[in-house]
Amino acid sequence: MDDYLSGEEEDDYYYTSDQESLEGLDHEYDQSNLQPLSSSGNTAKVITKESLLAAQREDLRRVMELLTLKEHHARTLLIHHRWDVEKLFAVLVEKGKDYLFSGAGLTLVEDDPTFSPSSPMMMTCDICVEDVATHHMTRMDCGHCFCNSCWAAHFTVKINEGQSKRIRCMAYKCNAICDEDVVRSLVSETQPDLADKFDRFLIESYIEDNKMVKWCPSTPHCGNAIRVEDDELCEVECSCGFQFCFSCSYRAHSPCSCSMWELWRKKCHDESETVNWITVHTKPCPKCFKPVEKNGGCNLVTCICGQSFCWLCGGATGRDHTWSSISGHSCGRYQEDKEKQLERAKRDLYRYMHYHNRYKAHIDSSKLEDRLSDTILEKVSILEKRQLQLKDFSWVTSGLHRLFRSRRVLSYSYPFAFYMFGEELFKDEMSAEEREIKQNLFEDQQQQLEANVEKLSKFLEEPFDQFADDKVTQIRIQVINLSVAVDTLCKTMYECIDNDLLGSLQLGIHNIAPYRSNGIERASDFISSREAAGEKCQPSNSGWNSEDTSCSSRKRPRKEGIYRNSQTTLLDLNLPADVIERK
Amino acid sequence: MNISGSSKMASKRINKELRDLQRDPPVSCSAGPVGDDMFHWQATIMGPTDSPFSGGVFLVSIHFPPDYPFKPPKVSFRTKVYHPNINSNGSICLDILKEQWSPALTISKVLLSICSLLTDPNPDDPLVPEIAHTYKTDRVKYESTARSWTQKYAMG
Repeated sequence: MDDYLSGEEEDDYYYTSDQESLEGLDHEYDQSNLQPLSSSGNTAKVITKESLLAAQREDLRRVMELLTLKEHHARTLLIHHRWDVEKLFAVLVEKGKDYLFSGAGLTLVEDDPTFSPSSPMMMTCDICVEDVATHHMTRMDCGHCFCNSCWAAHFTVKINEGQSKRIRCMAYKCNAICDEDVVRSLVSETQPDLADKFDRFLIESYIEDNKMVKWCPSTPHCGNAIRVEDDELCEVECSCGFQFCFSCSYRAHSPCSCSMWELWRKKCHDESETVNWITVHTKPCPKCFKPVEKNGGCNLVTCICGQSFCWLCGGATGRDHTWSSISGHSCGRYQEDKEKQLERAKRDLYRYMHYHNRYKAHIDSSKLEDRLSDTILEKVSILEKRQLQLKDFSWVTSGLHRLFRSRRVLSYSYPFAFYMFGEELFKDEMSAEEREIKQNLFEDQQQQLEANVEKLSKFLEEPFDQFADDKVTQIRIQVINLSVAVDTLCKTMYECIDNDLLGSLQLGIHNIAPYRSNGIERASDFISSREAAGEKCQPSNSGWNSEDTSCSSRKRPRKEGIYRNSQTTLLDLNLPADVIERK
Repeated sequence: MNISGSSKMASKRINKELRDLQRDPPVSCSAGPVGDDMFHWQATIMGPTDSPFSGGVFLVSIHFPPDYPFKPPKVSFRTKVYHPNINSNGSICLDILKEQWSPALTISKVLLSICSLLTDPNPDDPLVPEIAHTYKTDRVKYESTARSWTQKYAMG
């Protein structure tokens, strides 16, 4: 067995070991299936408070260089165009510089005739209507001139209203955005805290107003944002360990589409805790199908929708009744229609419970397995100490990641199936027969995946650290085989969803993030091109001076240097953060 | 700037506006403080002659925020008005009282804007959709209703 372990150290990809081992074992799996789906490497970047300024500097620099502008003017233009440099340049080419500038409220004047030496020493400020010495007045780029204390009061109101990004001139109908340097200097004279707030809002605009950048939605918030390179649907993992969907900013949920996940989340929130109670204590209203609880009295129950029905049979009735009978209703009579409606409501509820129970079971398992990872890694360290023939135990960790990954896919495949084959979303998209065929196809895949995931889980839970050499080797083969099998099955399931299920729909609104063998992409640290080239990226004159002092108060999400540059690719993306730390 | 600092600035400016209004009153309106509180005024607007509100006298209340003029004054009708942009609470839908407010505007300019709003309603941004609908589809009915409301509530 030595011969197929030897090549491992030179390989960049973690899972190549599986592949080689399996080739050695004459395994039937097609080699092409074993390549990681995405080989493009890391494109998502973690932007911390510290790297936020550096991250936007490149965009600022491009605009500044092309239009020979100051940084704050470039920022005004970029904020107006939501940090889309290409769009900004397109406007420049198509509509010209004047249009670009006036649209963004940017006015550039070279000279300042008001404050020429010949101008009077005192002027009346139109806001406070006081005579003010001209050196206590400020003229904005648009030409409007007011006294400094009025400007400062105006800025204070606007910053407190959260409008740092586009504080307009005080003159009526003047569209011009106030120069950020003026705002900063006038506000900081009396309120340095507010000036900091202003700066923070401005710099955070890069996150808030930018479709390629999003805050990590972790709670409590880790303080990071993630930038992606293209706006294709994807899932990312922040350096804090939180995995989320970049499109809807909820926890990663593929193969559910964002809207399916939204519906499911709401449904679970509404129903999960109470669903059992509801089935025991309520009957669905025959008209609106809402569950109705009987709060005492006779067997005539009235739903909030106004429909009365018989508690004994669940059938709709009239309103008049005595203690013993309800007008126009006798329970003994078989009424097909009502029976059908009742059954339907029941079926809907049972259907939901079916999917929900399985979804919940896998989520619970994955939580348990999360905790198991510690014990499993302990087993590895015990094995490493024993003098076994087998020296490499990467199959344990890789098996573990595949387990986590596929367990996650499996969990979310249930809400997916609930909506895919239910009536809520796609009732008119397929015929009943078509739906049945597709559902069978999908469920077969789901069951196969389920069986293999459980097997993999079972093998990893075995006390293999106590086993003899040959038995460890056997487990190893099983784990490797199953790791590959679950990966292949996940891929097949995603392909089926993409091509046969969602792909065949008329409505193109349901898209899912692609499956990646190596797990959800872990965003790497942002390193600006200049910093990478050795030049330290200093905060500019923009006044972002809280940068150094704030470092200590913030928890650094991880140890320095661990994920830098090329090292990142050596690490398995599917490892939970704490596992990687220990490596 | 703390509150008392900005209030001081506000009352200075409000006093100045009051002096200007008294020295050079606008044609169709008048305004002044209700009591000792300089931040609470009442104004009267004469219904514009070229409108169905002609002949009416409309009472308007004005509250100045402590950070006036950096925030807009709160202006509302005390007299019932049949108008697409004025609702039954007297609230006025006028851009310069909201997002288009500028510290360079004054109460005198606000009152003049309200006068022109009475003459030319803005039915595309209605506060009362039913009145806006009537205004757009049946101008005669709109004018007669507005006239009868004016007679009922704004005269005598």
